[in-house]
Amino acid sequence: MEQPIVKLQNVTKKIGSRTIIDQLTLDLPLGEVFGFLGPNGSGKTTTIRMMVGLMSLTAGEILIGGYSITKEYEKAIRHVGAIVENPEMYKYLSGYDNLVHYARMIPGITEHRILEVVKLVGLEGRIRDKVKTYSLGMRQRLGVAQAILHKPRLLILDEPTNGLDPAGIRELRDYLRLLSKEEGLAVFVSSHLLSEMELMCDRVAIIQNGKLIDVRTIKGDETRADISHMLIEVDRQQGAIEALLAAGLNAAAEGNHSISIEANREGTAFINATLVAAAIKVYSIRAQVKSLEDQFLEVTGGERIG
Amino acid sequence: MVDFLQLVRNENMKIYRRPRTWVMTLIMVTLVLFISIMWRIFSKGETSMWDVISMESFVLFLLVTIFTVVVSAGSVAEEFTSGTIKLLLIRPWSRSKVLLSKYISNALYAALLTIILFASSLLLNWLLFGLNPSDAAKQSTVPLPGEMAPFAYLLRFYGMKFITLMVTMTLAFMLSTIFRSSGLAIGLSLFLLLGVSSFVPLLAMLDYEWINYLLFMHLDLTKYIGSTVLEDGSGSSLSFSLSIIGAYYVLFIALTWYVFNKRDISA
Repeated sequence: MEQPIVKLQNVTKKIGSRTIIDQLTLDLPLGEVFGFLGPNGSGKTTTIRMMVGLMSLTAGEILIGGYSITKEYEKAIRHVGAIVENPEMYKYLSGYDNLVHYARMIPGITEHRILEVVKLVGLEGRIRDKVKTYSLGMRQRLGVAQAILHKPRLLILDEPTNGLDPAGIRELRDYLRLLSKEEGLAVFVSSHLLSEMELMCDRVAIIQNGKLIDVRTIKGDETRADISHMLIEVDRQQGAIEALLAAGLNAAAEGNHSISIEANREGTAFINATLVAAAIKVYSIRAQVKSLEDQFLEVTGGERIG
Repeated sequence: MVDFLQLVRNENMKIYRRPRTWVMTLIMVTLVLFISIMWRIFSKGETSMWDVISMESFVLFLLVTIFTVVVSAGSVAEEFTSGTIKLLLIRPWSRSKVLLSKYISNALYAALLTIILFASSLLLNWLLFGLNPSDAAKQSTVPLPGEMAPFAYLLRFYGMKFITLMVTMTLAFMLSTIFRSSGLAIGLSLFLLLGVSSFVPLLAMLDYEWINYLLFMHLDLTKYIGSTVLEDGSGSSLSFSLSIIGAYYVLFIALTWYVFNKRDISA
């Protein structure tokens, strides 16, 4: 793996006597969509604010592209494009002027690049209108546009799907994947929407009460060859277990009308055939994939803020 | 350097693309026009143009101050209230430079307003009173200090006023940065400026040494036009007043930059 674009080393933030972020250590490689998951108030936004230099660190170090965000801010931040919380724009300016505003702050961004980005986020039709006439989804798009204007190597998006409609979310998701895979940039996305993260990210870090709890890899495609936990709904529970036992398979009763069993793709077909041959009616066969939500609640213990 | 000018351009764009900036400027020019026309109607043209210009400059400079304070008080605070400060500060520019670009654009607006007031009153009153004046109107009736030519007097008047304006603007800018609320910054700086200034004669009567070191005792520099040392027994001189103003100015600037650099942005 390449040198990580971002290194968080024992990052700690204290406000008064409260520890908001506690000894957070994390590496983000290029070419990955990295999720940052945690309940409200767990310290996601604080971490992001420290990563972009809006907040100071009480202890620890954040390196972006090898530069310290505290000591060499101007060099470190050059690699970063970000939306922190809501994409707030100058409402009295047009969308285009907002982009010009940010383009002027980084040398070398041409008008051509601005228009290219506008097209990319699909705002061509309304870019000359004042931002105050924009819907939340359009502002979110404009927010993405200003974040990628200077072709950053690290894109930080805080709750990027807030206020987007399903089509917009899907579009954003595809776009982020494209950016990370084809342009090789690192995308750091925070969210409390578990299902969303599952679809969007390659890896997910779970944070709670300012502490990093776990980092998990999310499987892109569920490979059917894998053994998974099957839940089979039948008309005679006991008869089904006996029939499977006769075929040399161990099944367990699950609820009143179902049985559960470990099986792969081929195994599932065999189980079905066995049950049907034993004159047992099979109503449904479902693979029990542990969702991120289950994993999340498991590791955080379903605990609420506090 | 060229890159930094882009930042100032940005701040200028944020000032001049807002309708309120033009409304304020228009109000000022309209008032110049209104006062001059009324004066012309009621005086039947028997006033010297210089008298009208002096009077208008004296009265309307207050508007220049108020409008400058409004813009200046908004420049930092509004970035915080709208949340745009977050997107503004995550660029490859230090906070000090971003703040400097804002300060410069505010100072430019103050200069612009001052020039517009000077130019518009000069032009309008020359048209209304200066062309073909009657004999009675040729001489200014207002005694100018030291037999000064009216135009030279006005230049000094505007110069002195502009120094005070810069201090006032810096005060508003500081309050805007510290409190992150434009309303509070506007209110407080205008209160300090107009409210406290009206107590200046009263304060001056008190016989304490420290009163001489209050900023408000020195904000009216126009009294030094003609003679740089006052002969009212107070012993204050232009250089003393300028030193006091300068000291406060440095303090305001230092405090503003310190607070802005240190603050955690959690808006």
